[in-house]
Amino acid sequence: MLKFSRKVFRSALSVSSVAVVLLAVSSISVATQSASEERQYLSRIRRLTVEGKRAGEGYWSPDGKRLVFQSERDPANPFYQIFVLDFATGDTKRVSPGIGKTTCAFFRPGSDEIMFGSTHLDPKSKQYQDDELAFRASGKQRRYAWDYDAEMDIFAYSEKTGGMKRLTTAKGYDAEGGYSPDGQWIVFSSMRDAYNRTLSAEEQKQLVLDASYFAEVYIMKADGSEQKRLTDWNGYDGGTFFTKDGRIVWRHFDENGLIANVWTMKPDGSDRKQITDFGAMSWAPYEHPSGEYFVFASNKLGFENFEVFMVDKAGAKEPVRITYSDGFDGLPVPSPDGTQMAFTSSRAGGTGAPGQIYLAQWNHEAAMAALKAAPPRKPAGK
Amino acid sequence: MRNPLRLVLGAAATALLVATPHAQTATAVQSRTRIHVETLASDKFEGRLTGSPGEKLAADYIIGELKRMGAKPLPGMTDFRMPFTFTAGSKDGGTTLTLTRTGASPQIFSGAATVQALSFSDSAETSGSIVFAGYGLVVPETQNFGYDSYAGLDVKDKIVIVLRYFPEDADQNTRAILARYADLRYKAQAARQRGAKGMLVITGPRSPNAGAVVPMSFDTAIAGSGLVAASLSGDAFAPIMAASGKSLEAVQKEFDSGNPHVAGFAIPGITVALKATVIRQQQTGNNVVAYLPATEVRLKPDATLDKPWVAVGAHYDHLGRGTTGGSLAGTDEANQIHHGADDNASGSATVLAIGEAFSTQPRKRNLLLAFWSGEELGLLGSNAFVSKPPFALDTLAAYLNFDMVGRVADNKLTVQATGTSAMWPKLLEQANIVAGFDLVLQEDPYQPTDVGSFNTASVACLTFFTGAHQEYHKPGDTADKINYEDLVRVGELASGVVRRLMDSAEAPQFTKVEQKTDTGGRAGLRLFTGTIPDYASEVKGLLLGGVIGGGPAELAGLAKGDVIVEIAGQSITNIYDYTYALELLKIGQPAKVVYMRGGERKETTLTPAARK
Repeated sequence: MLKFSRKVFRSALSVSSVAVVLLAVSSISVATQSASEERQYLSRIRRLTVEGKRAGEGYWSPDGKRLVFQSERDPANPFYQIFVLDFATGDTKRVSPGIGKTTCAFFRPGSDEIMFGSTHLDPKSKQYQDDELAFRASGKQRRYAWDYDAEMDIFAYSEKTGGMKRLTTAKGYDAEGGYSPDGQWIVFSSMRDAYNRTLSAEEQKQLVLDASYFAEVYIMKADGSEQKRLTDWNGYDGGTFFTKDGRIVWRHFDENGLIANVWTMKPDGSDRKQITDFGAMSWAPYEHPSGEYFVFASNKLGFENFEVFMVDKAGAKEPVRITYSDGFDGLPVPSPDGTQMAFTSSRAGGTGAPGQIYLAQWNHEAAMAALKAAPPRKPAGK
Repeated sequence: MRNPLRLVLGAAATALLVATPHAQTATAVQSRTRIHVETLASDKFEGRLTGSPGEKLAADYIIGELKRMGAKPLPGMTDFRMPFTFTAGSKDGGTTLTLTRTGASPQIFSGAATVQALSFSDSAETSGSIVFAGYGLVVPETQNFGYDSYAGLDVKDKIVIVLRYFPEDADQNTRAILARYADLRYKAQAARQRGAKGMLVITGPRSPNAGAVVPMSFDTAIAGSGLVAASLSGDAFAPIMAASGKSLEAVQKEFDSGNPHVAGFAIPGITVALKATVIRQQQTGNNVVAYLPATEVRLKPDATLDKPWVAVGAHYDHLGRGTTGGSLAGTDEANQIHHGADDNASGSATVLAIGEAFSTQPRKRNLLLAFWSGEELGLLGSNAFVSKPPFALDTLAAYLNFDMVGRVADNKLTVQATGTSAMWPKLLEQANIVAGFDLVLQEDPYQPTDVGSFNTASVACLTFFTGAHQEYHKPGDTADKINYEDLVRVGELASGVVRRLMDSAEAPQFTKVEQKTDTGGRAGLRLFTGTIPDYASEVKGLLLGGVIGGGPAELAGLAKGDVIVEIAGQSITNIYDYTYALELLKIGQPAKVVYMRGGERKETTLTPAARK
C-alpha cells in the first residue's frame, strides 16, 4: 500500500487509469447530478492548461495576474518543468532550466523571484530523461509516482536577470516551499535527515521503501541562510505554506503513510495544532486569503477519489466537501483576492486521465455559510 | 453537421483582437452576430438547401457582409461564388430485364416494383449467362479471416446474382466483419473486379424486406460504378431460380451459415439481358469564398512566408424542408422549414465575425473566409474546394472549421481534430486562457463536417462544436435557442488562435491521425435503433443526446442523458464500440441494453427495427 500513498503527495499528483476506468462507468450520471452541488462553491469551472501530458500545482502571483505551475510539455523532457502563464495575454513561458525534474514553484512577494525545486545540477539528469522516454516508448505501463529525487534542491529564479540562485545544498529531497507574506522567509520540506546521519538497519529498510518517511518541515531565510528544522516526527511532513497571520500550515502523514492530516504551528515549530482528524489522506492545505478557512484535498470518499474539502481555521468543525468529480481533484489554491480557485483535476477524463489545472469562480459567502453550518469535528473512526 | 451528428461552429469573434475588448465592443459584436444568425435562419431562406433559392439568398447575404468588411474575391477571381455541381438525386428511367431460357420465348420484366436500377449503375445494356455468387462479399485478406464469395467461380463477362445484406445466421464476430463489406457499392466493385458485366441483387426470403427491390437511394457520388446493376423482386427472380432447380430459401440458408466454404454456382440454360437507365439530376451549389489579403510582408524580406494562408470556414447550407434526407423531424413537423440556426448559421456568423475582427487588424498572412455549401449532402462544397483548390493547399498554414457552435452549455466547448498538429494544444491553451472555456479536446479529425475534407488534404485543422441537442436536424433548430453571449466567445477564442497563426513564422506541421477502423460499418447498417448519440461526450459509454420519437430506443424507455454501457453483451465505452455492436444486432430480435441513469445501473430491452 505504501507505494500507492506516495503518489498523492503535494508534488505528485497522479491518477490511476485503472481506477478511472473502474469508477467511470458507475459514476457518469452521478457526476451530472452532483455538478450542481459543486456549483454552490465553484462556478464557471474551466480547464486552464491544455498543452502537455500533465500539469498541476498552480500558484498565483501576489497581484493575481499570473499563475506559476508545473507541466510536462517538452517532448524531450518527460518530467515537470516550471511555467508562468499570464491571464491577460494568454502567453506562457518556461522559467525553469528545462533539464531534469522540477516541482513546487512559488512567487516571492515583493520581488521578481520565483522559487522551485530542481534537479538540473545533477549530471545524470539527461540520462534520467532519456531512460524515462525510452520506457514510455516501450509501451509498458506503470503507475505514475513521484520519486523524491535526492538531488532535488530549492532555487530562486530571477525574472529580471534570468539567473538562478541555489538556496539549499543538502543531499536529500528539498522542495515544497512557500514564502512568508513579507517574502523574507521560506518554509519547505526536506528529506535530508535520511542522509546526514547513520541510519539504523530498520531505517535503511524504510529509506529504500519510501524516502518520504524522513521528510520534515524546515524554515530558512529567503536567501537560503538560517536553515532550521521544525518537526521531528516519523512520517512525511510537507506541503508547507505560511498563513496570513504568520503561522505555518502543512500536512503530516502518520508512520505508515496512509493517514495524513492538516496541522498548523508557529514558525519556530511550537504551538502545533491539529486542524483535521479526518481518518484519510488529507493533504495540500492552503489558506483562503480571508484567513477564515483552509482548503485541502482528501481521499475520504475512496482511496483513489480525491476531492477538495474545506475546514474552518481552528478545525473545530467537520470538513465540508467542495468538489464532486471522480478521480482526482486536489491542490486547491485560492486567488489572492479570494474570488477564484485554481485546482488540479483529472476530470477531463480520457485515456489515463492525467491531471490538468482548472480555474473556477469561488463563492466565499457560500463557503462561510457552509462552514458555519458544519457539525462539530468528530474524532476519526468515531 | 451532417448525420451522424456533427457540427461546426462559427461565431463572432472580434473582441479579442482589440487587446482588451471593452463592453461596448463586445455588445456590438453580439448584436451583429445575432443578426447574422437570425437572418440566415429566417423563414425567408427556407432552410438553405444546397442548390435551392434559399441557398442563393443566403449566399447573397453573406457576400453583402463580406463586401461591407472589405474582403475580396480570391486572387484571379471576380466572384465570391465558387460553384460546384452535384447529383441531387437519381431516378430510374425505365429498366428492363429480359430472360431467355433455352428453347423458350423471352420473358421481359419492367416496372419499379419488379426491376429497378441501383443508383450507382451505369446507364447501359449488357447480357450474359448467370452465376449465383451468394452474398457477393469479398473481405480483404486479414489476419485470421478470409471470405470471398467469388472463390472458385468464373464470372468473367457474366451477370452475377448476389443476395442483399450479409449472412443472417453467422456468429457475431463473423457478422461484424462481413457487415463492413456488405454495402452494395462495395459488392458492385467486387463483381466488376472479377470481370462481371452486370450485377443483380435480390433480397432473400430469410432477410428483412424479403423479396423487395432495393429503393433508389440518394447517392451524391457522381461517378458510376462501371457496372450495370439492378435489383430484382422475388417474383422476377423466381424463374431464374427455377432454372437452377434449387429453392432460394434453401440456398440462402446455406449461405446464411457464414461458412466461407459454401460456394456459389452457375445457373445453366438461361441468359439475361439487362438494360438499366439511371437519370441523375445534376444541380449546382455555391461555396462563398473571400479573403483578407496580408497587410504586411514577411519578417525577413528575403524569405517568403512559410505558408502564407490561414483559413476559417463554416458550412451555410442546411436541410431545406428536410425532404431529401438527413431530417430527424417527427411526422407532425414533416416538410417544415429546417431553420438550421445552430447548424450552421452559428458557424457562418462566427466566420463573419472573425473576418470582421481581422478586417481592421494588421495581417501577416492572407485570411481565407469560406462558407461551404453541400455539407449536409456529404461535405460536397469543401470537397470540391480541396479537389480543385484555387491555390496550392501546401501554402495553407491551417484551417479552422465551425459547425454547430451556438449551444454552449455549462461553459463547455469541444474542439476536435487536435491530433492534426502537435502545435494545437499550445495555441488552444494560450487563446483559451483569455477566452475562458472549459475545453474538451478530441484528437480525431474524421468528423462528419468539413474539417474532414481538409484533414484528407493534409492540412492542419481544427473544428469547434458545442454539442448535439434535441433540435438537431429538426425544424426547431431556431435562432431564439442560440446562446449569443457564448457564441461570441467562441469567436474570440478562435480569433486568438487565428491571431497566433497569423503572427507565427512557422506554420503548424500536419500530423496524420490514423482512422479508427471500427467506423467502417456504417454502410452495412440496416437496422434502426432510434438513438441519437452525443458525439461530443467524453464519458465512458454512449451518452444519448436524444432518442427519435417512436423509435426502438424510445419504446425501450431510453431517454436523453442515459449512458449505454452494454448492448447485446458487448460492453460499450465509446461511439465506435457502439457502431460495432450495432452490426451484431438483428432486426426484430430483442437485445438487452444496460445503461446508467442518475447513477443507477438499469436494464431494458431494445428491439431494432429495419432501416428502409
